Amino acid sequence: METLILVIIGLVGAPLAGGLLAGLDRRVTAWFQSRQGPPIMQAFYDVAKLFGKEKMVVNQWQILCAWVYLVAAAASVALFFAQGDLLLVIFVQAIGAVFLVMGALSTKSPYAQVGAQRELIQVLAYEPILVLVFVGFYMVTGSFSIEAIWAQETPLLAKMPLLYLALGYALTIKLRKSPFDFSTSHHGHQELVKGVLTEYSGPYLGLIEIAHWYETILVLGLCALFWHTNVAWMALLLAATYMLEILVDNTMARMTWRWMIKRVWLLGMGMSVVNLIWLYAG
Amino acid sequence: MSNLLVLLILLPMAAAVVCYFVRSSSVRKLTVLATGGILTLASLGLLSQGTFAPIEVGSFLGIGSDFLVTVLDFVLLGVIFFYGYKHKSLLVQGFTLAQTVLLVWFEVVMVGHEAVPALMGDQLTLVMVLVISIIGSLICVFAIPYMKEHEEHLGLKKTRQPRFFFFMLLFLGAMNGLVLSNNILWMYFFFEVTTLCSFMLIGHDATEIATKNSIRALWMNAFGGLAFVVGMMLVYAHAGTLNISAMLALGPSGAMMVTGVAFLCLAGFTKAAQVPFQSWLLGAMVAPTPVSALLHSSTMVKAGVFVVLRFAPIYAGTFLSTGIALCGAFTFLSCAALGVGQSNGKKILAYSTVANLGLIICCAGINTPLALTAAIMLILFHAVSKSLLFLCVGTIEQAIGSRDIEDMRGLYGEHPRTALITIIGILSMMLPPFGVLLGKWMAIEASADSNLFVVVMLALGSALMVVYLARWAGSLMGTREPGASPESQPLLIRVPLMTLCLGAVVLSLTSPWFYNSMLAPWIGSAPFTVGFGSLESAHGTFVVVPLFLVLGLGLLYAVKAASGYRKVKIMPPYVSGVNSSADGTYVGPMNGDVPFSTGNLYLGELFAEPKLTPIFNALAVALIVLMLGGAL
Repeated sequence: METLILVIIGLVGAPLAGGLLAGLDRRVTAWFQSRQGPPIMQAFYDVAKLFGKEKMVVNQWQILCAWVYLVAAAASVALFFAQGDLLLVIFVQAIGAVFLVMGALSTKSPYAQVGAQRELIQVLAYEPILVLVFVGFYMVTGSFSIEAIWAQETPLLAKMPLLYLALGYALTIKLRKSPFDFSTSHHGHQELVKGVLTEYSGPYLGLIEIAHWYETILVLGLCALFWHTNVAWMALLLAATYMLEILVDNTMARMTWRWMIKRVWLLGMGMSVVNLIWLYAG
Repeated sequence: MSNLLVLLILLPMAAAVVCYFVRSSSVRKLTVLATGGILTLASLGLLSQGTFAPIEVGSFLGIGSDFLVTVLDFVLLGVIFFYGYKHKSLLVQGFTLAQTVLLVWFEVVMVGHEAVPALMGDQLTLVMVLVISIIGSLICVFAIPYMKEHEEHLGLKKTRQPRFFFFMLLFLGAMNGLVLSNNILWMYFFFEVTTLCSFMLIGHDATEIATKNSIRALWMNAFGGLAFVVGMMLVYAHAGTLNISAMLALGPSGAMMVTGVAFLCLAGFTKAAQVPFQSWLLGAMVAPTPVSALLHSSTMVKAGVFVVLRFAPIYAGTFLSTGIALCGAFTFLSCAALGVGQSNGKKILAYSTVANLGLIICCAGINTPLALTAAIMLILFHAVSKSLLFLCVGTIEQAIGSRDIEDMRGLYGEHPRTALITIIGILSMMLPPFGVLLGKWMAIEASADSNLFVVVMLALGSALMVVYLARWAGSLMGTREPGASPESQPLLIRVPLMTLCLGAVVLSLTSPWFYNSMLAPWIGSAPFTVGFGSLESAHGTFVVVPLFLVLGLGLLYAVKAASGYRKVKIMPPYVSGVNSSADGTYVGPMNGDVPFSTGNLYLGELFAEPKLTPIFNALAVALIVLMLGGAL
């Protein structure tokens, strides 16, 4: 029963929180750039507007893929709030990522095709990191399930600081922030139009936007697990992490996929492995 | 009981002889269909009777069956030597001669020839018999219309199908014999029969490249056979018995025993095409597609992983076990990486097979109850999904005349049924809640206890596989013009495809019960408990049925939403506002229509096959030497 309530909180709360965060993100970014920025609720207005638009697609696969993306993102958040298995959470989330790419590939569009290829490379970069982070959780708690983390006395950050930094790479990629935003550039001036999202429009783009909110909350939820013992510290950790993401986003130029793969695999995996060696030795 | 066993091993062999000598296509068709049906029933019958203790096999026509197997062994070695001589392959001749000499010495000097119960059936055997008999039969059925069209393409004057079906059916019988063997000499005999069958089938089209690749397969597997004989001798020298279940009962005891098993595993590696032996399986892609499907899913390579798994109790807890886990994980990673650089559909499938076999072998090496469960799950689900995908590629190839995934772009437009089944097949290889992913999930969770290198290799490899499978599935989707004519498929093509496709979904859904009835009893301490259709262990929980329900309902809704697409405005893709009236072009210089095209990114600079293969082979040889040396 308690699990069910948590799942419902997750399913309803995550998109609301994700949307708010997207609005806040724009305000903070504007503040960095000495602008005023849109209202905090702007993300919701945008999506509401998208749902009012005419339905247009290149083919029917896009409709299917947009819906499956949303369903998978919501299911992974539900599983996360049900304190399920971390590996399973990320595999369910991968369904969404894969369908988003397949929807883009189903069109003949050159922009969507390039975006889809790049999105796959992004998956290639962040997925191994996430698996290693979960192995770190396992080394500390003896289980892959989130439930086991709550039984810990001390915050996990103390035992796996490098894994948290590695997770930061995955977070940057998943949030589609510079320097790793090359599959769906969210800055208007970049050359790829909207990459993997180019051919999604109107209500279908709205679905993808909501799914993205779910995913944002999921990845931040993973970060939150590193300081589960105290809500205040957890909030502070998340706020600091997200501020850092925005700062990086605004100070870094977008890089190529080659640069990303090398950085994330060498540095990200390197840090993860070093941290895992501590845990294996300890 | 023994009638069923005779059916499973001898019926396909008898049917093979019928196919070879009765040169009528309708008799052949009937024989293959009937054999497939009886094999399916017999394997299910064996399943319903459950496991059985090792049993004796009497004599045929007054000749002791053990003696018969020995005689056939030497006949077989003679045949293989003959082909080595005919094709002037010194490697084949050398490996075969060495095998013969060692085998003579073994049979004459070493073995006491006591009576050994020849056949046994534990849960591992039963699962393998199911895979071989049902999936193998479906592939043979599919081959009936496929080979007809194949020969029409080749324009042969005289059909070679009798020979083809002879070896296909013989293969099934030999595989059933292999997995049921309790006498290690019997196992060796059937092991060698599969070598011969694969050689004949790979070289079936008798083109220059087919012959070349078949000889490579033959020498590599002859090397495996030699390793098997050496392993068998060492194990016998220590254990003093040919009885496999007696050996398993001994457990890890003594360096000679473990070294012997190390050689048996090396034989398994060659058969399962582990790096550096992967080239024979990739070369086997020149064979007609049903052969590839058979080799990759229910026979040959599964014989390799079966041998490694069969002897797992003997090397539990030894360094050899770690070595096997490392070799398997390395194969998983390296072949997943090599797959990224490929655009040939069959090659992609081949690399993904080798990678998955590596994962299975890695699980055998990790050797915990959880890992062994993962290994059998992977064997079963990989067999279903991979046979389906090979048959799909065969169907597509006959429809569009290419096996390149770039040529399959938008296949849904012309061949919706085939494209849809292929997409489902690809998804069943990589996403939850399907069985292959369930196995992968178990493998990763099991590897966390094992070894840091293994974990890292598994994490990287599984991400790499997503890349090449996802882009293939996406490319198959496309626009179907209104009023396009429906796709027609011959019945004997459609039935195997639909059965395997349904099988992939239904078996995945029922995996908790499959686990409960087949795997939990096999492994002494069951790693999972089943509750609410979920598999729960101390490591974590996979919510199989709930996930099926949630994702299934979601998918249904998505399909319903997508089926209303006629009400949605269909637009041409965005090309920066310069679309021309013709589809797939934009308005270019001089107001002319310029066609555009797109292709997948194969990341050539990172994953080029010619560049990576020598490096991977060298590393793999080093790992195998480590594995064998560490056993001493």
